[in-house]
Amino acid sequence: MSDKEHIKSLIKEAEIYRKQSLLEPSKEKYEEALRLIQNHESYSKGKKLIDTIKSKIRTVEENLVEIDQATDTPELSQEVENLISQLFSFSKNKDVAAMEGAIALAKFGQYDNALAAFRRLIKEGNMPLLAAKNILMCHMTLSSPDAAIAQFRQWVSRDEFSMKNLGYIRTFLENALLKQGIKAGLPQVAEASPEEGKPEEKEEDIIDIASVTIQFTNGPRKGEIVEFDVTFQLGNKISTIIPAHQKDLADAFKPGLRLSEIQCFSSLAVFNGRGTVSGLKRITSGPRRGDYSLDITIDSV
Amino acid sequence: MAVFNSRDRVIECKLVYYGPGRSGKTTNLEYIFKAGKKYTNSEMVSINTKGDRTLFFDFLPIGLGKIRGCDIKVQLYTVPGQAKYSSTRKLVLKNVDGVVFVADSLQIRRKENFLSLKDLQQNLAEQNMSIFKIPLVIQYNKRDLGEQGIPIMPVEVLERDLNSKLKVPSFEASALKGKGVGDTLKKCLVLTLHHLQKELKWSQ
Ligand SMILES: Nc1nc2c(ncn2[C@@H]2O[C@H](COP(=O)(O)OP(=O)(O)OP(=O)(O)O)[C@@H](O)[C@H]2O)c(=O)[nH]1
Ligand SMILES: [Mg+2]
Repeated sequence: MSDKEHIKSLIKEAEIYRKQSLLEPSKEKYEEALRLIQNHESYSKGKKLIDTIKSKIRTVEENLVEIDQATDTPELSQEVENLISQLFSFSKNKDVAAMEGAIALAKFGQYDNALAAFRRLIKEGNMPLLAAKNILMCHMTLSSPDAAIAQFRQWVSRDEFSMKNLGYIRTFLENALLKQGIKAGLPQVAEASPEEGKPEEKEEDIIDIASVTIQFTNGPRKGEIVEFDVTFQLGNKISTIIPAHQKDLADAFKPGLRLSEIQCFSSLAVFNGRGTVSGLKRITSGPRRGDYSLDITIDSV
Repeated sequence: MAVFNSRDRVIECKLVYYGPGRSGKTTNLEYIFKAGKKYTNSEMVSINTKGDRTLFFDFLPIGLGKIRGCDIKVQLYTVPGQAKYSSTRKLVLKNVDGVVFVADSLQIRRKENFLSLKDLQQNLAEQNMSIFKIPLVIQYNKRDLGEQGIPIMPVEVLERDLNSKLKVPSFEASALKGKGVGDTLKKCLVLTLHHLQKELKWSQ
């Protein structure tokens, strides 16, 4: 291939990559072409060609910056938001599904609407403590701990939550703030005595666990590590689903089995725990018929 | 995980188009949407960022009508291919029933194809699924660019890179022109429904 042809083909390649938004490779090809031209006596005087290529490189660079700075949380229409919370809520239980839908909005960065959805859940009395914690986490993820604190103050000043629950939310927030190195003077919540420290929604005693890995410490699967998404959590009881075709795996979880190597992943932290298989049943109806539902009670973290 | 409503005899399943950024996942769905307009009255939803890159996902529901007495509804999704949207990919992949892996034939994307396939394997494993067991087809897209003198990889190379262990059905395609799009989708649907039939035993 003559140099002229080579340059031509490099430019063509660069153009095509640019059209496909493969900007880095496009830039490289333009630059390669430019170098060839500049090193070539008979072309290096072709100032016009050089300028054209330089301006193309600039455009590509501008596009790269634009893409780098593009917002990751676009404005979505109400319709699309509804669709998201509908598509990404998987539970059959209507209340749980509503919670999952709201969490999906938060995961997609639609914080305002996620917040609205969580507030609605509180109003409806649907897992209000979990909703409250998620509201605080939304604020924290948006990296405005101040908003989380302001929200807590607002709850204290109204009577949306009982004193016990407020005390519980306070502890949760305090810990979340501490993890970010923030020591905030949260308003005290009445004279909750130590025994009353537990929330009324007792089951929410433990942090929200998104997934767990479990290592078998004895039996034929000794040493093997399996990972599960937590499909539902009530306090320290987590549930997960094992697909029908993994019957062997399901069989390994005999109720009563002690699990001494559990790693729990939450949005806040990863922590180790221990627990016991508290239930294993075949799902006999509904969309997950045939799969196994595995319950694990975590007793120490 | 497919949803099977045994009372109404409706099966809903989920196919996800996976692959590196810019490989043509969205283009596949756009073509299916255009070509299938006669059969569906639902809209395609795309949530994009700058440069028409997928930010969250594309979503297109299609109906296949009745198969063995069951109404089959399929939800097609694409994931965002850009490496940085890893957590979104996991979310979109949740409860998937079948996967189309759209590989880019361009020579310069060889490594990206490879990394994306590994990412798929890992994300499936995180939901306790195996890339070796899930219904999967691979598409080698942008074949047309070879005719324009742009360096693309021969199919044998792509097969060796991506499919030597998996040994799943693979198709050449030019999604922009629609070539190979239908065949890829059809094969993935057949594999997925076959798989579901065994799991849900709906035809009995
Ligand atoms: N020549 C050619 N171009 C294609 C083909 N398929 C897709 N493209 C182009 O490749 C670019 C990227 O296509 P998309 O469908 O947006 O890619 P994607 O996989 O959805 O990309 P992400 O959303 O970023 O993951 C677009 O400019 C398409 O027009 C093809 O078969 N041939
Ligand atoms: Mg896309």
